[in-house]
Amino acid sequence: MAFFAVHGLVKRFLGVTAIDRVDLTVERGELVALIGPNGSGKTTLFNCVTGFMPADAGRVTFRERDVTGIAPHRIARLGVGRTFQLVSVFSRLTVLDNLLVFLQQHQEDSVLGRLLRTARLRRYEREALDRAHALLAWVKLADHAHAPAGTLSYGQRKLLAFAAALMPNPELILLDEPAAAVNPTMIETMKRHILALNREGKTILLVEHNMDVVMDLAQRVVVLDHGAKIAEGAPEAIRRDPRVIDAYFGR
Amino acid sequence: MRRAVAWGLGGAALVAMPWLVRAVAPGQQRYVLHILVFTGLFAALALSYDLVVGHVGSLSLAHPAFFGIGAYTAALLATRAGFTFLPDTLAAMILAGLVAWLIGVPMFRLHEHAFAIGTLGFAMVTHIVATNWVDLTRGPLCVTGIPRPALGMGPVAIKLTSVPHYYWLALASLGLVALLYHGLTTFRLGRAFHAVRDNEMLAAAAGIDPRRYRMLAFVVGAVVAGGIGALYAHYITVLCPEEMTVALTINLLVIVFIGGVGRLRGVVIGAVLFTVLPEILRIAPTWRLVIYGGLLLAIVVRWPEGLESALRRSGRSRTA
Amino acid sequence: MRAGYAEVEVLRGVSLEVRSGDIVSIIGANGAGKSTLLKTVFGLVTAHGGSIRLAGEELAGRRPVEVLARGVSYVPQGRCNFPAMTVEENLEMGAYTRNDAGVRRDIDAMMQRFPMLGSKRVDPAGTLSGGQQQVLEIAMALLLHPRLLLVDEPSLGLDPRMAELVFATIESINREGTTVVMVEQNAKTALSISHRAFVLELGRNRFEGTGRELLDNPEVRTHYLGR
Repeated sequence: MAFFAVHGLVKRFLGVTAIDRVDLTVERGELVALIGPNGSGKTTLFNCVTGFMPADAGRVTFRERDVTGIAPHRIARLGVGRTFQLVSVFSRLTVLDNLLVFLQQHQEDSVLGRLLRTARLRRYEREALDRAHALLAWVKLADHAHAPAGTLSYGQRKLLAFAAALMPNPELILLDEPAAAVNPTMIETMKRHILALNREGKTILLVEHNMDVVMDLAQRVVVLDHGAKIAEGAPEAIRRDPRVIDAYFGR
Repeated sequence: MRRAVAWGLGGAALVAMPWLVRAVAPGQQRYVLHILVFTGLFAALALSYDLVVGHVGSLSLAHPAFFGIGAYTAALLATRAGFTFLPDTLAAMILAGLVAWLIGVPMFRLHEHAFAIGTLGFAMVTHIVATNWVDLTRGPLCVTGIPRPALGMGPVAIKLTSVPHYYWLALASLGLVALLYHGLTTFRLGRAFHAVRDNEMLAAAAGIDPRRYRMLAFVVGAVVAGGIGALYAHYITVLCPEEMTVALTINLLVIVFIGGVGRLRGVVIGAVLFTVLPEILRIAPTWRLVIYGGLLLAIVVRWPEGLESALRRSGRSRTA
Repeated sequence: MRAGYAEVEVLRGVSLEVRSGDIVSIIGANGAGKSTLLKTVFGLVTAHGGSIRLAGEELAGRRPVEVLARGVSYVPQGRCNFPAMTVEENLEMGAYTRNDAGVRRDIDAMMQRFPMLGSKRVDPAGTLSGGQQQVLEIAMALLLHPRLLLVDEPSLGLDPRMAELVFATIESINREGTTVVMVEQNAKTALSISHRAFVLELGRNRFEGTGRELLDNPEVRTHYLGR
């Protein structure tokens, strides 16, 4: 059974079918890109498989476990990390706290333990802090660690959201347009980091319009159009696929 | 070091307040301390409200209900069942928390203004019950003869009958509530609260269950409000349904927003201003409420984030 | 120009000159101050020092309505329209400050120019795809016939075809005489259609030149274009 699988997923909005019986499997350690025109259902698919929207039909499994219809925070705790297409940070928390808050739920989880601040908890906090500082250095936000995230520029918030999703070290990472609004040099760094994560064994599903990113990273590309899967295959084959050129690349 | 000294001196001054007041304004002691008791109770109540409004960002309008449930529980247990102060206060807190949990389950399925209206409805129903269930609450006749608190048991009981005694009790309660507030809103738990407030979707993606944290703040806030209600009932000794009207919510909102939402210091400043300012303005009786309203308006215009933000800014410019 | 927010100065002495009729791109790392620059010109952020002149007239210190009245329109970053209003109502909002008889005709012309808007005339803007919304926002700005159009990341979140359409739109309105200043992370495409371009770094000028010069500049290529 596949590491992560979507079977016959259907999602309708007011009678409009946004996702039309989509099947998608991702094997452990794979790096798959999901592409398609604006409005083809990529983000809706992400929302359905991470519990943010109920699907109208179909099944989602992660590590041989049925996760269809499970609350988003529980899917996150099972080891699924995700980012959002539009910039999404906790604007009144500091940049550092934006990262720390992502880690805490995966550790000790009793209110009493938190109030008492046990030794174990303090060790967790220290490790979390080290990890957060390392990630901030990587996205070049170390200087802003103690500023409220709302004071960052749009692109910086995007980078912060990306770093935050990596905090809990998720097994499956869903990235929704990580490169949008990020400057080209940082995109190169981001690409290296995504590849490194993948080499460490992380499974990654990526939605992205930047074709350099898709072609350089993806081992396999899945194409959606009008909510249906219209093609699937190796990046080079997809680039030459007439249906995909027609629906997506243009010219 | 200087900070610790300042805190120590400030704390000592607060504890010694009854004597200080007697030295400065002889003959006015009862009156001044009475105001300060109200300040302390209002500050503690506003802190418990701010846990919900300021830290998880749920605009609950149900707080007077929990305050009232606590007050009535303590008053009725003390006058009808012969409970003493500590057990009836404990019962008040537990009952208020339990009710909060029960109504929280349906309420937190609502969002934003629907949640506000839902909790408002609950507060109004509670008030109507307190007014009309005459057999239990005596309704508009009020519960009378609520004893002043006694700590301890039997012959070793310390009766808190004088106003200075009650001042110390209110001060100690405020201290405890402030500690609880600080503990809940900083470090990890505070981060989770604020994450839920700032961005519920992202919080869920971080593995945080938004409803659970909102419920936690809501129930803890209600438990504290119930306890403060009990203290209040024992202090004024007469309890009427009017104590738990929606007007109390407005007062709490004024305290929290004038002082500074989500800020311990701000909420306490707001409570002081709210209780002390109208008294000072008694020097101009005719214009008192007009001036008071005008001052509140001026504060909101000048410091929209509350007085606490002004303090923070001046503190920063001094250290910089 | 110097400008910033309560705590931090974002622009620390940026100077740039835009000739009438040009497309000018501003590129640079995230947090370099590109968006703040546009917001300052438009009056959304207060300039602490320096001047902003439009055909000799001082704009610094003016409020957005006043800047707008002088022929400068601004399309902010990300989705920024009235999602519950229809496409047509959004266009009417775009022309809100106009009360001449030509508004109706201009809106109809806009719908013809962008058929994807015409076909969605009565749909709420929030139901449009990202690319369609971006085109709508540019159309809203154009209804005021600006002399200068400020656009912040027009290609953000757009699929390749849509991005191409948006850049083509910018080129065509420029040919009709509108000067365009755009901030764009899709730097290669932006530079390729720009007459001039500026690279900002930490709130200061770093490079400037024609689009071609910057595309060929090895230092710009490694540090700002990714390769």
